Amino acid sequence: MRETARAAASSLLVLAVGVLLLLALPRLLDLHALINATIFASLAILALSLAFVWGFAGILSFGQAAFFGMGGYTYAVAGINLGDTTGAIALGILVPALFAALLGYFMFWGRISDVYLGVITLTVSLILFRLLNGTAGDAWRIGDAPLGGFNGIPQTPGINWPGRPGEALTPDGVFYLAMALVLLVYFGCRALLASRFGRVMVAIRENERRAELLGYDARRYKLGAFAIGGGIAGLAGILFANCVFVSPTMFSLNYSAQIIIWVIVGGVGTLLGPLAGCVLVQLVTTSLGSAGWLNANLMLGLILIGFVVLAPSGLAPLPVTAARSLRRLFPGARA
Amino acid sequence: MSAVPLLETRGLTMRFGGVVAVSAVNLVVREAELRCLIGPNGAGKSTFFKCLTGLLRPTAGDVLFRGKSLVGLGSHAIARLGVGIKTQVPSVFDGLSVRENIWLALRRRRGDDAVKRRLPGLLDEVGIAPLADRLVGQLAHGQRQLVELGMVVAGDPDLILLDEPAAGMTDEEVDRLVGLIKALNVRHALVVVEHDMQFIRRIATTVTVFHQGTVLVEDRVESILVDPRVRDVYLGKQAA
Repeated sequence: MRETARAAASSLLVLAVGVLLLLALPRLLDLHALINATIFASLAILALSLAFVWGFAGILSFGQAAFFGMGGYTYAVAGINLGDTTGAIALGILVPALFAALLGYFMFWGRISDVYLGVITLTVSLILFRLLNGTAGDAWRIGDAPLGGFNGIPQTPGINWPGRPGEALTPDGVFYLAMALVLLVYFGCRALLASRFGRVMVAIRENERRAELLGYDARRYKLGAFAIGGGIAGLAGILFANCVFVSPTMFSLNYSAQIIIWVIVGGVGTLLGPLAGCVLVQLVTTSLGSAGWLNANLMLGLILIGFVVLAPSGLAPLPVTAARSLRRLFPGARA
Repeated sequence: MSAVPLLETRGLTMRFGGVVAVSAVNLVVREAELRCLIGPNGAGKSTFFKCLTGLLRPTAGDVLFRGKSLVGLGSHAIARLGVGIKTQVPSVFDGLSVRENIWLALRRRRGDDAVKRRLPGLLDEVGIAPLADRLVGQLAHGQRQLVELGMVVAGDPDLILLDEPAAGMTDEEVDRLVGLIKALNVRHALVVVEHDMQFIRRIATTVTVFHQGTVLVEDRVESILVDPRVRDVYLGKQAA
């Protein structure tokens, strides 16, 4: 019961903060900062994808960047060819989800151990990184869209109103959309976790053998979770592509590692934690990066080590721990 | 009643490298029978159970459940046919509450509403209702055994395998377990592995004795308890 109370509390918090940011930021921030905030929102969705797959299905995927990049590229290529981005968005979610399902089929039906699962997912994203880096020149194009090698696709189209090609959303509009999608994905994951599918998924994370002995086919549930995570990462890629443009860096080791750091900093096994972890780590690294006096990657490493050593369960349980130590300090007060 | 037994193993053999853990075991369990399996540590009882539930694939021989071969089926498929197991070391969902554990077991075959109706009664029957909101990982060994037993009962399997169910239980918990086993046995067949002879005496009718991977003897419990061969293998004297 305590569990549900906590979930309800964090849901309310996310809803309140999300709506507040959604309404306030476009009024407070200049255009450049607003686009940055949109990028943060897209990365927050990416963080949620791993929070879901790792934290609740127990699948440590080093390959969320692969689905992120694939979502972005699919969206860009389909958008250029179709002229309208509505279908491109659907494809940008569907293609990485199906790719994750295919990859998952081989991994889960092959009963590959957790360590190799990490290796395989990482390798797949690096292969895609290499592959797209090598697509410079006119020979590499899909329909009207040149893949552009390490330059990526600068002419990545902006999201337009459904059915009205050419009428692109304003930066404000993209921000609203991205924030709304963060909330949608968060509450979508919550709903999924409360469903039979989600509860069995968590049970498999806890004890796969017992779940099997109860008659649940663990492979199917893991495959489902992995595909959903792939689709969510694809959605993040679409939004990211809208703010920047797609390039092979989306598949890079840098992103694969960062996503995992966000989740560790936020707390594995929660949704709210990685969301906060992502925004916090991004704020720290970008502000340090622009200040220029400390290497951002070095800082990222320090943050990771700091959390692993000092707060191994991440940010998420800190309010509870803080409340408990306060109560210990002031035994008379009711926290 | 058909002549096809509920469970039949034919020459069931499990080898690990040079070690033969289970060697050509032929065992028949009829519908709604209560069978006790005893034997010293390392006799192959747990390995035998693992072969029945798909956790291990036997090296040779066959396992027939109502005439259908189980060899090569996944654990989940065997569970769905109606085989439930309580493993030797309780296999439970440690990070989840007792209620959630039982819910998961019930929800496999039932709809949401049916689970809600059955859940409180089942918690009561097994005697874990006061623990319902506790995390299973924080419970004592005997309590975890009861939780796992509750999960097995929830699946309503036709064949229930219990591997050392009384280990770590208080006298009160053992009493409850005996009552549960007798109640279950009205409609379900059970195979119980146990070391505790007091416990065996309370529930057993037919007993099969395992020794070094083979069936040493199979008889009514009264004869088994006075059988000198059984005493010898338990006391470590080499059987002739």
